[in-house]
Amino acid sequence: MNSRFMRMTSRLLIVSVLSLGLPFQYAQAGMVSTDKVATSAQSQSERERIRTFLDREDVRKELQAQGIDTDAAKARVSALTDEEVQKVAGKLDKMPAGGDIIGILFTIFIVLLVTDILGFTKVFSFTRTAK
Amino acid sequence: MINLLMPVPSLLTLMEQLAIRLSPQAGKSLVISRKRARGTWFRCASFRFSAGVSLLIWLCGCATPQTQALLTSHSAQLLPQVELGEIPFYPQEIHQCGPASLAMALNAGGAKVTPQDLTPQLYLPGRDGSLQVEMLAATRRNGLLAYELAPQLDDLLVEVAAGSPVVVLQNLALSWYPLWHYAVVVGYDLKRGEIILRSGLEQRQVLPLTTFEHTWERAGYWAMLALPPGQVPRTATEAGYVAAAVALEKFIPSEKAEAAYAAALERWPRNLTARIGTGNAAYAQGNVLRAEKSYQQATLDHPDSPIAFNNLAQTLADQQRYPEALAAANRAVSLGGTEQAAAQDTLEQIKIKSTGIWKETE
Repeated sequence: MNSRFMRMTSRLLIVSVLSLGLPFQYAQAGMVSTDKVATSAQSQSERERIRTFLDREDVRKELQAQGIDTDAAKARVSALTDEEVQKVAGKLDKMPAGGDIIGILFTIFIVLLVTDILGFTKVFSFTRTAK
Repeated sequence: MINLLMPVPSLLTLMEQLAIRLSPQAGKSLVISRKRARGTWFRCASFRFSAGVSLLIWLCGCATPQTQALLTSHSAQLLPQVELGEIPFYPQEIHQCGPASLAMALNAGGAKVTPQDLTPQLYLPGRDGSLQVEMLAATRRNGLLAYELAPQLDDLLVEVAAGSPVVVLQNLALSWYPLWHYAVVVGYDLKRGEIILRSGLEQRQVLPLTTFEHTWERAGYWAMLALPPGQVPRTATEAGYVAAAVALEKFIPSEKAEAAYAAALERWPRNLTARIGTGNAAYAQGNVLRAEKSYQQATLDHPDSPIAFNNLAQTLADQQRYPEALAAANRAVSLGGTEQAAAQDTLEQIKIKSTGIWKETE
């Protein structure tokens, strides 16, 4: 009884999850959308589709944890492709995030100054690289 | 080496001022620690520097293989010197090099956006910066094709020579102390071995190619283009470009999507995704005949594609050419594949329409 109920629920969840994650692009019945051509070429399995969907949820939560509000996070996640989602899911706090120079410690300041002058780095606008 | 060390005392003062401007707290502690350390620091300066320098050379690694390869032999299509002077410049605000760099590239591609428009789509407050994948995503949200280049300096410069500014990620500092930064490459001079960027507050930053390669290598040689739909990067791969066009499709009107796929077909005429893409985009515009033509071609080039036959069947049914439609739909079902359920559905629909049962049920 219990396991049957669980099975029903999980089936229902899978269906609803899939229909949420993969919206139909064309209102017209009978048409297969272009992104399906690409995914069918990779023969993406149901399991992978579900994983991608769950990864998307993870990325959305991570974005919110980094200070983005719910609606904006949803819009930002939906603009990512499946590959991009997989690339950042679970490690959004460690991925490179281009910002700029702020709060460099004194020692590192000296190190970077020298590497700047030697032309290995380019942190400071006032250094002229030795060629 | 001596020459390089001479300006250090004056640079220290400059550094303090800069540090105080950038971050008051760090600046103050810097002044204090310098006062404490002044005596010993200067006495040992020369020793420390020579030891430090040799350590750093060891730590950084000095090879710039791509620059060396480029300067000795490069693509024939690479002009010796290029500068895209007309690319607009947005000086970055604090932490906003992502939005500023992307705005420059998007403007060059014809999208009228400012860095302020992009900040809510790109900037991550918790990280004080912007992620690479979101640079690509924000490009699409603004209607341009986002293409990630191969990690090759040669490719990067070929695209600049083709007239496209290239957004790059740099690690300006060190691998174990990263300082991630986005900038826009707008030119280069092979004879002088230099690259020209719009970077931070500098409208025209000229760097030796070797220095640039160091900073770029530490960021995984990451570079991207933002192009208007219909333009294919000169160095694009078939799979890379078509995937970029598919990702863009939902953000642009179908006429533009059709242009993006048509451009792919010009270079790779047998690409199935692009062929079906032109058909779907034409269909979305209500042009059944043009859609049918694309799907017909797709079934000729790829007689084993169920999706090509399924979509063809639909356009034929729309024109009430039921016998042909049924044949195509049957073929789609028999070919199977991931979309077999959809093909089955199409077939049922066409059967209903062709036998006129729908009239009785009304």
